[in-house]
Amino acid sequence: MTPEAMTPEAMTAKAAMSDPLPASARRSHTPPESPLEAEGRRLGFLMALPTQLLLVFIVVFPLLMQLYISLTAWTPLYGQNWTQAWQSWNWFENYAEVMQDGRFWSALWRTFLVIIVCVPAQFLLGLGLAILFVENFPGKRVFYSVLLTPMMVVPAVAGYMFFMLFQSGGPINGILSDLTGLNVTTAWLSDPSLALAAVMIADIWQWTPLMFLILLAGLIGVPEDQLKAATLLGASWWQRFRTIMLPRIRTVIVIALVIRTVEIFKIFDNLYIMTGGGPGVSTETISVYIYKVTLQNLEWSYVATVALIILVSLSVVTAFGLKLMDRR
Amino acid sequence: MPTRLPLQLLRYALVLGAVAITLIPTLWMASMAFKPIPEWTASGAALRWWPENPTLDNFRFIFGGSTSELLVSLDRTAWRPILASLLASTFGTLLAMVCGTAAAYAVSRFRAGGNLPLSLIQLRIFPPMAVLIPVMIMWTFLDLTDTWYGLALIYGIVTLPFAFWLMKTFFDEMPREIEEAALVEGCSRLRVFLKITFPMMLAPFASSALFVFILNWSDYLIALLLTTKDWVTIPVYMASLSSSMTGQLYGAKAALGLIAALPPVILGIAIQRYLVRGLTFGALKQ
Repeated sequence: MTPEAMTPEAMTAKAAMSDPLPASARRSHTPPESPLEAEGRRLGFLMALPTQLLLVFIVVFPLLMQLYISLTAWTPLYGQNWTQAWQSWNWFENYAEVMQDGRFWSALWRTFLVIIVCVPAQFLLGLGLAILFVENFPGKRVFYSVLLTPMMVVPAVAGYMFFMLFQSGGPINGILSDLTGLNVTTAWLSDPSLALAAVMIADIWQWTPLMFLILLAGLIGVPEDQLKAATLLGASWWQRFRTIMLPRIRTVIVIALVIRTVEIFKIFDNLYIMTGGGPGVSTETISVYIYKVTLQNLEWSYVATVALIILVSLSVVTAFGLKLMDRR
Repeated sequence: MPTRLPLQLLRYALVLGAVAITLIPTLWMASMAFKPIPEWTASGAALRWWPENPTLDNFRFIFGGSTSELLVSLDRTAWRPILASLLASTFGTLLAMVCGTAAAYAVSRFRAGGNLPLSLIQLRIFPPMAVLIPVMIMWTFLDLTDTWYGLALIYGIVTLPFAFWLMKTFFDEMPREIEEAALVEGCSRLRVFLKITFPMMLAPFASSALFVFILNWSDYLIALLLTTKDWVTIPVYMASLSSSMTGQLYGAKAALGLIAALPPVILGIAIQRYLVRGLTFGALKQ
């Protein structure tokens, strides 16, 4: 019998033969933990403890509370403490209500719409800029620093900048008037069909630099000798880009896309300052929806339900995604 | 590879175009901050990129509470929100960096913590909105609503993933020979960390702390939810700056926005080297 042909049972049997001790006793065969290792284990436990406790504090406890509240009709309106929420226990009524809540679904769809437009736009613009910056040219460092500034601006302040820019008498219409020769007085932010576009433009302005930064870091890591060899062999720029650069930065691209998708899903600050979710509900994304329902209608048990549904769906998606990345 | 001249010119044209688009919004706000009231809403032919009569009135207004030009006066000046932003961001950063560094060392050296690294990534992915209700209830129960330390606590937790992952990549990269030599000499593990490892990590620690500070300083949403009056931060205060008499106080808001925007931009340029690492959770080190 060759070793390759051995069945698992045969291998276990063989191992048992060469090792007469039962499995429980065999464990002590591994060298006993040295004092130094024991010290490391203790110290490691203690040093990780504060972070573990904070995680329990902010994840486990709130989730349980959220689950409990979501099964009731509790609201802080009548001064009742949340612990008494069981008095208005209503099983899954909130969940049924969410399924039929058109405003929730349209907010969710709008959030995806922003992702679908902004992530590719930021990616393509960022990649284009990164390609311009691969080679050295005079002034490169200064331009690089300037191009990174938008993503360091406080998002709420960036929202306010674009709020001013998009006023009907503001500079964007001013530039458009100069270019077209007409007197453009579009009221961007109070036009339901344009407000979301304005928000998207603001987000693209602020976060294209992040794509640029990450993608450039990836492109610079592409070994130069490979590119030179390809050039000598007569490869065109496009061929070099497609066959050498692109495969090398595939992981970088995935990371950049994932980061932006996750962040835009949470979009709130700049959007809320620019439009407050309006006019009407025309720029209401999921975060704005939750915020408004929480503060205006005070239906907290309902909000807890919405939040829990989002959290659970996100957990499933990210657990799956992280597993995929891990396997890579 | 020498690039041909037309291509070189094309590159400059594109880069300069991008620079212009990058700068216009910021410059407009900066210019607005120095405009007197009549120029705030000047439009059409009267639209100017630069203030015609530059003034410091907008700054006087937000710090002093009133100016001769405006009929309205502020019941709260910008000092208190600036203090709130500083306190909450600083102590939030401190909390994140202390806990994050300790945990990063534990994970990097002793493989402690189990699922901790991935749990922290998940914490980052979750929208803060989704734990809004329980957090508001907890903060009320603990009497942390509308306090700078309550805000610092949540800031510390929210930015913990960044602190942890940044420091973990630095610890992972550090050669272990020095630590091992000290252990052979009979140093305790804790002493090795405090007296040898950490002092060597001071520069990365400082850069990571600045990075985390920028994130905390940039928050709007959390402060909007957890502060109401006494300890509102700059962005929340800024958003509340409008009155029914004058409508939007464009210049005053722009002045405040400029003050809020400057520290992160300066700090961000200072730690440019670490931005990629910080923003990608150490997945990319540049």
